[in-house]
Amino acid sequence: MITAELQFHRPGSVAEALELLARHGDDAKILGGGMSLVPTMTLGLARPEIVISLNHITELRVIAEDAAAGTLRIGGTARHNDVIASPLVARHAPLLADAARHIGDMQVRNRGTIGGSVAHADPAADYLPALVALDASVVVRSTRGERVIPAAEFFIDVMATALAPDELIAEIRVPSQGTARGAYRRLTRVEGSFAIVNAAALVRPAGSGASVVAIGGVAGAPVAVDASTAVSAGLTGSALAAFEDAVRAACPEPFEDLNGDAVYRREMAVIHARRALLAAAGRAAAGVTV
Amino acid sequence: MKQVGRRVTGLTNTQLAAGKGTFVNDVVLPDMAFLAFLRSPYAHARIRSVDISAAMARPGVIKVLTGEDAYRDLRPIPEAWNTREIGAKGVLWYPIVKDRVRYVGEVVAAVVAEDRWTAAAALDDIEVDYEELPVVTDPIKAMEPGADLVEPAWGDNLLITRDWIAGDVDAALAGADRVVTGTVRSNRITGVSIEGRGCVAQWDAFARKLTFWESTQNPHPLRSFLAETLNMSENSIHVIQPHVGGGFGLKQPPFQEEPVVAHAAMVTGRPVKWIEERAENFMATGHSRDTRFEYTVGFNADGRVHGLRIKVIADVGAPTALLGWGQSFVTGYSLPGGYDIPDTNVQLYVVVTNKCPWNAYRGFGKDAQSFVMDRIMDHVARETGLDRTAIRYANFIRPDDFPHSQPSGAILDSGNYQGALDKLLKKIDYAGFRALQAQAAAEGRRIGLGLGQELTPEGCAMPGALMISAYDGATVRVAPSGEVTILTGVTSPGCGNETAFAQIAADVLGCKLETIRVIQGDTELCPYGLGNYSSRGTMYGGSATQLAAQDLRNKLAEVAASMLEAAPADLEAADGTFFVQGSPDRSVAFNAVVNQVYRHTFGKHAEGVEPGLESTRYFRMGNIYHQPETQGRFSNYPAWPFGSSAVVVEVDPQTGMVKVLEYTLVEDAGTVINPLLVDANLHGAITQGIGSAMYENISYDENGQLQTATLMDYTIPTAIEMPMFSIEHQETPSPFTPLGMKGAGESGLGSTLGALCGAIEDAFPELDLRITDLPLTPNRVWQSLRTAPRKDGSGFGPSPSATGAARPAVAGAVEAIR
Repeated sequence: MITAELQFHRPGSVAEALELLARHGDDAKILGGGMSLVPTMTLGLARPEIVISLNHITELRVIAEDAAAGTLRIGGTARHNDVIASPLVARHAPLLADAARHIGDMQVRNRGTIGGSVAHADPAADYLPALVALDASVVVRSTRGERVIPAAEFFIDVMATALAPDELIAEIRVPSQGTARGAYRRLTRVEGSFAIVNAAALVRPAGSGASVVAIGGVAGAPVAVDASTAVSAGLTGSALAAFEDAVRAACPEPFEDLNGDAVYRREMAVIHARRALLAAAGRAAAGVTV
Repeated sequence: MKQVGRRVTGLTNTQLAAGKGTFVNDVVLPDMAFLAFLRSPYAHARIRSVDISAAMARPGVIKVLTGEDAYRDLRPIPEAWNTREIGAKGVLWYPIVKDRVRYVGEVVAAVVAEDRWTAAAALDDIEVDYEELPVVTDPIKAMEPGADLVEPAWGDNLLITRDWIAGDVDAALAGADRVVTGTVRSNRITGVSIEGRGCVAQWDAFARKLTFWESTQNPHPLRSFLAETLNMSENSIHVIQPHVGGGFGLKQPPFQEEPVVAHAAMVTGRPVKWIEERAENFMATGHSRDTRFEYTVGFNADGRVHGLRIKVIADVGAPTALLGWGQSFVTGYSLPGGYDIPDTNVQLYVVVTNKCPWNAYRGFGKDAQSFVMDRIMDHVARETGLDRTAIRYANFIRPDDFPHSQPSGAILDSGNYQGALDKLLKKIDYAGFRALQAQAAAEGRRIGLGLGQELTPEGCAMPGALMISAYDGATVRVAPSGEVTILTGVTSPGCGNETAFAQIAADVLGCKLETIRVIQGDTELCPYGLGNYSSRGTMYGGSATQLAAQDLRNKLAEVAASMLEAAPADLEAADGTFFVQGSPDRSVAFNAVVNQVYRHTFGKHAEGVEPGLESTRYFRMGNIYHQPETQGRFSNYPAWPFGSSAVVVEVDPQTGMVKVLEYTLVEDAGTVINPLLVDANLHGAITQGIGSAMYENISYDENGQLQTATLMDYTIPTAIEMPMFSIEHQETPSPFTPLGMKGAGESGLGSTLGALCGAIEDAFPELDLRITDLPLTPNRVWQSLRTAPRKDGSGFGPSPSATGAARPAVAGAVEAIR
């Protein structure tokens, strides 16, 4: 139960929100869809004195493409279901929609925002490995200016990010997948619960960049493993085995909790990384667009 | 039209589906204050002092109650089961603890404030000085000499032990072809009702009347318990049960919270509301099923079991007044299930620990009994090489062997286990499954079939226990308009028994179903009754309704007979009409007969009958034996429903993930009054069974800290995880109820546990795979698979051919992108 009194602000513009953040910084928390913040507050794990809602800033919910730069721009308060339904996301970053489809349940996907999920940075969140695999960036703003932070650098540890107290997530910038093909796989005990491990693979055709699998749920931040060698070797038994060894090596001390011990989590990371990689490769080979 | 046996939709459906029910949190009174509980953060600690001054100083706080208040102004909470009567140890449990807390969640103080948030915030203001004491969490260690004690005065940690012996087990084991041993464990769980507990108390100091609304299953016993704890007269208390958003046994009193809320209303003069939070539900409402079984079973090559010894070790948490520990008693009491094993020894050890006490939860120990028997039968099948069905058939109690006595003295009323299993095997085409399995294997999919057999004693009556008995009452009333009201002592937590009562009364009275209204859950309207638990609602409430309705039918028939110039015995009644048997045109409307009773009381037709159309009757169940025989045994369950189920699962050998593909149940709870609502109950029971077997687990660390206090940590399934259910009924009527019903409230659950274990094992015929522990988490299944030896001695784990068939195809396709 949220027992403390708090100040609630609902700015109508990003500028206004940034002013509030500049003034209150550490004492304030940003409210997107409330799907992470509210449970955290209910459990008493966060007790902000000031809550700044972004729900009345329409400019933050826009999904747009920057054709010149070849990037997709997803506003920080775009709901998960906005991402799932967006034709632009389907064209440029279907892997992201793939991941979004697994978030929580319908109610959560209707309310929750991509910026909220990224800022909360639960290590098992569905978006995180997809953003890392896609080489996306997090665009953050404050009254001090704008920073564009690569996802791989943005996520630091369990619920710890590069976001400063006076900054908000304005946008998620995703380079268009182009001819690369992605796949997302997750291990979860029931629909709607957080993944035990998850993996997002992006397979690029030869000569058009690295293929990668990013794995969530095992460490504080997504673990990226290069799969280029395995892909260029045709994912043969030995190439795949080497890739799997690389995944194992990248997960030296996996999380342990009631849903999985360390040994299990590491092997599940391997299996889901492999499954995501094979699925992405299969799509790439078949020329499927998702 | 005969109503009994029809698939009538629930009478409360529209109201509840529209969201127009009244639940306890919908009870809002003028000037109402809110109460919050401070609960122990320690599993075991001495309370040195409690300082409430800061809390009292917080604006909005009206009152803070501590153990000092409870010990001075209240009395200990009466026990739901009479422990002394059956040789168990008990404790004095006060509504608020004063000296020593024994589990995380035990009530230490209560704050009454102007609103919920202030009350909750003020909990942090209370300073309690705790001195931590040694914590008992492992039931095996708890039984060792010199173990730390949950209750120092007891001298050990055993709440009760029993050594039930039938025949000569040692001789039988010595004479058997083979003897094997095993250990299996069922997990600690709870029932997760969507609506938690909650109550509202209102004290009228001038009328000296306490009105108490609670999401409870047992309004009348609750009134008795409150009167005792509050030390006030019982007729000064009016308990009202609003709609209940799920009970499953866990809303059976007496809890600490109930008298505290009532007392708070009396000392503050304000109506007081308490609504439980989910974390409180997990830490204090009650757990169940945490049981370890060690068995030794002897058998011959033909699969017949000769000699069975089962040690039952139940971790029931801290001792309180709640009846939950009784579940472990029922597990032992109902062993060895539906099997005729003349030489059986059941050794029961009920161990207390510094954990949340058990409270009743659907299954009530019968689930654990069915689980261990299924595991034993599958074990014997594996050892003999015989089919799992053959072992069950070879050992079933025969239909003509009833009544049958268990080692505990339990007397099974009736049954036809062979019949149910026959129906099941036919329904699922048991013989055809191997072909399906082979076909799936060819696609790289591992599927397996498991069998479950359940025996679910119902209608419990415990010696000396006020709340737990085998009777109940009903009033049936016909108004001058001809409309009928039924008032029952049993209650409905949403299971639909009110609809069954209307069906029963409609048939007896011959009135139209839609003219009947059912009222339950109000101690000032309804006859004294014991509420709902142990599948008793329709069995006892329905039987009482039938008796009361029959009184009115007899009276109305006498009047109608006079009107039709026929003999009462020659009359029939249906759909609102009385008519002469064989001459439907010689008829009179039901309402016209009623009219004679009310308006022509001194007229020709009604002058011979007593005025009024109301009858209250109590039904007393048979097959209860409380006067102990020579061994001190008694028989407290009169009705023994049973069922057979089959489940098909698919297992991912690489991850240990189990998906339930099909679930089929043939259940037999005697006569079915409403197949639609019984099916709905069974859907819920199967879901709770699958949920508890596969997903749910209450976990404590070694310090007795609860690790699963949210629904994020305690995983429950939803409809998405469930297969479609296929259900068939067999009806072996109870010899002891007028219509033959036995109670179906808990049916369908017990057979899920063993069936799922067996199905997973069956998916890997090449392995000597033994699933012994619940829940069947992916991690645990994966671990069991990789360490299971292959029968051909070629190593461990599933054979590779069946673990990744999709791989070559995909890898081949990848060539295209190189």
